[in-house]
Amino acid sequence: MTDLTMGSYETELLLSEKVSPSSFLLTLSKPDRFIDAMPGQFVSIKIGEGISPLLRRPYSIMDITKDSIVLLVRVVGKGSALLASRKKGDLIEIIGPLGGSCFELKDDLNAVFIAGGTGLAPLVFAARKWTKEKKPGELHLLYGAASSNEILADLCMRDFTEVHIATIDGSKGFNGNVVEMFQDLSERGVLPEGQLFSCGPVGMVKALLDSNAASFIDHHTSLEAVMACGVGACRGCVVPLKSKNGIEYRSVCGDGTVFRAEDIDWKRWGK
Amino acid sequence: MKNKNFYIGNTIFKNPVFLASGPAGYGIEYRDLINLEKLGAVVTKTISLMPKEGNSGTRLQETEAGLLNSVGLENVGARCFFEEKFPELLNAGAKPVVSLACEGKEEYISLLEITSKQKKVEAVELNLSCPNVEEGGMAVGTDPELLRWYITKAKLILGNITVLAKLTPNVENISSLAVVSERAGADGITAINTLLGMDINLKSGGPVFDRVVAGLSGPAIMPVALRAVWEIAQVVRIPVIGVGGISSVEDSAKFFAAGAAAVQIGTAIFYDPGLPERIVDSLEV
Repeated sequence: MTDLTMGSYETELLLSEKVSPSSFLLTLSKPDRFIDAMPGQFVSIKIGEGISPLLRRPYSIMDITKDSIVLLVRVVGKGSALLASRKKGDLIEIIGPLGGSCFELKDDLNAVFIAGGTGLAPLVFAARKWTKEKKPGELHLLYGAASSNEILADLCMRDFTEVHIATIDGSKGFNGNVVEMFQDLSERGVLPEGQLFSCGPVGMVKALLDSNAASFIDHHTSLEAVMACGVGACRGCVVPLKSKNGIEYRSVCGDGTVFRAEDIDWKRWGK
Repeated sequence: MKNKNFYIGNTIFKNPVFLASGPAGYGIEYRDLINLEKLGAVVTKTISLMPKEGNSGTRLQETEAGLLNSVGLENVGARCFFEEKFPELLNAGAKPVVSLACEGKEEYISLLEITSKQKKVEAVELNLSCPNVEEGGMAVGTDPELLRWYITKAKLILGNITVLAKLTPNVENISSLAVVSERAGADGITAINTLLGMDINLKSGGPVFDRVVAGLSGPAIMPVALRAVWEIAQVVRIPVIGVGGISSVEDSAKFFAAGAAAVQIGTAIFYDPGLPERIVDSLEV
């Protein structure tokens, strides 16, 4: 991880594009500082003008292009709904790039990415960045959603060697959740050996750990949390990691967002 | 109110705009977003004698115009703080005020002794008012006898170091406790700490926080803080430092008008880290 500082910036909303019934891609003008943002890092966005909602909202970076930052936003509450209503040309205050750890691929290795919902964002960023800057082996994406209309795979078909889709209602791809698909693909020998990277709901990552994910070299996951400061100061978004003396708290914003999945005390996290 | 040097106790501050204890951590986490050198002081998160891991479960919950927190004074402990964090904060050009936990009496005395040996500590703020811990904290700040004991000990052991007493609003009469603090030797009063609150998770039907209660900060508590500052300023001669929900330059002006000698900015830095510097700018002569 490079030791570069974050900053506070006023960016311009370049494009807000609906990509599913509940999600949209937000493209913002890029401050120079973001040139070396890493997969797993995020920005915190000031949503409205006044104090409602009070806190900024964190969004994982999905891509950094020559001129823009791309974020994937799912409308889940007041903050994201307000963000969805912002228009092209609006000025958006962001702080970033934030996060003290990121996804890292060892040279020449294969990577299996497992995404649920908007957990897709940092994984797409990783695949694009590594394809450009490294010589990765095969990159497989396993992506699950409730139904086919929530599958955003069209956004990233070309970024992976193969994209495997699972829907709970069976409307597209594998009929079941993404972890069941992962087990099925593993058993059938479809997935290459390599590193495992995940981002999605707590239940998904826990289930992955209980499955045969241990056969992979290691498993890193990017966590989502309610945050206040975003910079590791306030200790509001801490995750319990297992330690010799019981547990140790690390902040998702300052020490994460990426952790070794096995290190997390899942009994205490995401209750 | 203008930006000019002023004293609280023996400590000189270059302007009356401080970062409040808590939100800014050890201060250094914010150095890329806030020009710490430009502020009157940075009050650190509260330091206890031994490291504290803080509270389990949910620690943050946004409310209408406010924020509930149950961090529970997580900190690295005095030894690590003075060896690592404090020098970094000084290097960042800040004027630190070290917030000290008021735990059990023995630990507290040891903490004061360690603090008194630090050559570069000029001022401390006694956290007599944290609602998020079992021992010490708010229990100390609501009992006049304990309040007197904790402040007297600090003055005795810390010698020339300036001592601010941070009071809780969760009492019937905050100004009488301010008077107790002044008589015990406090060099200044910081008012207020968070208000006690809670929230319910409708899915589980139970409290959001493991400790049930949490501390409410943010714009929602500003009228309460302003009232406390006004009342305290009527009855003490020592400086009153106003804190609680300041979200704009206008808010800070209200505190100065109510009798505050300085203001602290806390929760607002989460959504508007530029605010403390704008308040300093607003006070330019």
